[in-house]
Amino acid sequence: MFIESRELLMKHKIPVAKTEKYWKGLEEGKVYKTVCKNCGEEYYPPRAECLCGGEVEWAEIDGEGVVEAFTTVHRIPAGFEWHENPYTITIARFGNVRVMGWAENVKVGDKVRLKTGKDETGVWKVYFEVV
Amino acid sequence: MRVGVIGVGCSKFGRRDDVTIQELSYEAVKEALDDAGISRDDVDVSVVGSVNSRGYELMPAVLVNEYCGFTGKGPIRVEAACASGAAAVYTAFTSIASGVADVAIAIGVEKMTEVDTATSLAIGGRAGNYLWEFHQYGTTFPAYYAIHASAHMAKYGTTEEQLAKVAVKAHRNAAKNPKAHFQKEISVEDVLNSRYITYPLKLYDCSPISDGSSAAILASEEKIKEMGIDDVVWIESVGYASDTSNMTRRESFVGLKATVLAKEMAYRRAGIEDPVKEFDIATVHDCFTIAEIMAYEDLGFCRKGEGGRLIESGETDLGGKIPVNTFGGLKAKGHPLAATGVAMVYEIVKQLRGEAGELQVDLKNYKGLLHNVGGTGHFAYVMVLRR
Ligand SMILES: [Zn+2]
Repeated sequence: MFIESRELLMKHKIPVAKTEKYWKGLEEGKVYKTVCKNCGEEYYPPRAECLCGGEVEWAEIDGEGVVEAFTTVHRIPAGFEWHENPYTITIARFGNVRVMGWAENVKVGDKVRLKTGKDETGVWKVYFEVV
Repeated sequence: MRVGVIGVGCSKFGRRDDVTIQELSYEAVKEALDDAGISRDDVDVSVVGSVNSRGYELMPAVLVNEYCGFTGKGPIRVEAACASGAAAVYTAFTSIASGVADVAIAIGVEKMTEVDTATSLAIGGRAGNYLWEFHQYGTTFPAYYAIHASAHMAKYGTTEEQLAKVAVKAHRNAAKNPKAHFQKEISVEDVLNSRYITYPLKLYDCSPISDGSSAAILASEEKIKEMGIDDVVWIESVGYASDTSNMTRRESFVGLKATVLAKEMAYRRAGIEDPVKEFDIATVHDCFTIAEIMAYEDLGFCRKGEGGRLIESGETDLGGKIPVNTFGGLKAKGHPLAATGVAMVYEIVKQLRGEAGELQVDLKNYKGLLHNVGGTGHFAYVMVLRR
């Protein structure tokens, strides 16, 4: 025998004031990392504070990256039901940082370029295109 | 202050529609108290490990503690994703080692089957960094390990057949463990023919979604003497480490750095030089088949890249040089997150005492290795136990 719980829905307002440049950048086709002017540490995902205490600057990631790992998700989680077909999550290296994105027909070692786009739910993200 | 395990308990793992989280906890706690031959009053503090992000009781520690009869003695709730069990044992261990408590109980419990699978995947997919991963890319927990599998296969030529052999071994052992979620042997073909969950991992490469509880009672050497207990499994050393929440900030995808760091700490403290020779039994974190392959390498059972060949060699089977996951592993025994790490203590204690029945390993050095990972290498605990 079961008793069904009362429904609890949660939707959060996530503060992105410190990384606004990144999110606005996606809408302009740009993908930014941050680089510390003091120690040279590069951050992706970007963060507005370096742990060394130095000031960071925003730098665009572009050029060719190399695929290091990927997976094609067949069993789709709640929140992505709108995506009826499997999607491929890919991690590619661009210089000193690695970037996650969606791609098609990739394998480890492939060279890729970045682009950005909006999915059917209005979320902007990174897509990779095999060179 | 030396700390020993004096009692262990473990519930039946699987779909447990018959019990709430607190009722499930009590099954393991009762068994552990009986096993130690002590009463609830002898326990100074309880530690409750539970992720419980799928639960309707969002703060389960007090319910669990009350139902198990420890009201007033803690509880301390700990969470370290899938390593919450080892984190609970570690917390109990340090409370005794520091001299604050004489006897502590670590309880690991998880009810995972009360929500549907798509919801469960969406919760597990939040185990990394929600905003930068799940929100945009729909990561799932299997997907995180599949990312590692793709890199391992590309770099070292590890094959889907080799991964399948991990599952076959797990099911073979679980079939003889009445507490395991799965009680059925499977073949390499069964694994290879099962559907993709997230390429390259298939259904049988993945641990099931399980409910379960486990408990371990720890005590100081002084108290153990005072109570006249003479069959003790000592916690010789504990190592712990962590890694970045974001996959993109990891150094590589062919292993888990947190495991390597935790291992170095634990081995150094216990003077372990050759794990394959020194341990009679190892429990490693095999939430997915690739996780066991990487664990072999990261724990030093073989060189990096040779994990696939080690499973093929049969040396990690019962009767091999280093039997691994003799009770069926997370893969086939089940992986009720926080219950897993404490259940590893249960398995090692049963083995080192020679109480493992059909699954008993040969005892030479009376040493066991515990390896519990949280998230995708977000946390790692490695412990050396000795009887
Ligand atoms: Zn800096």
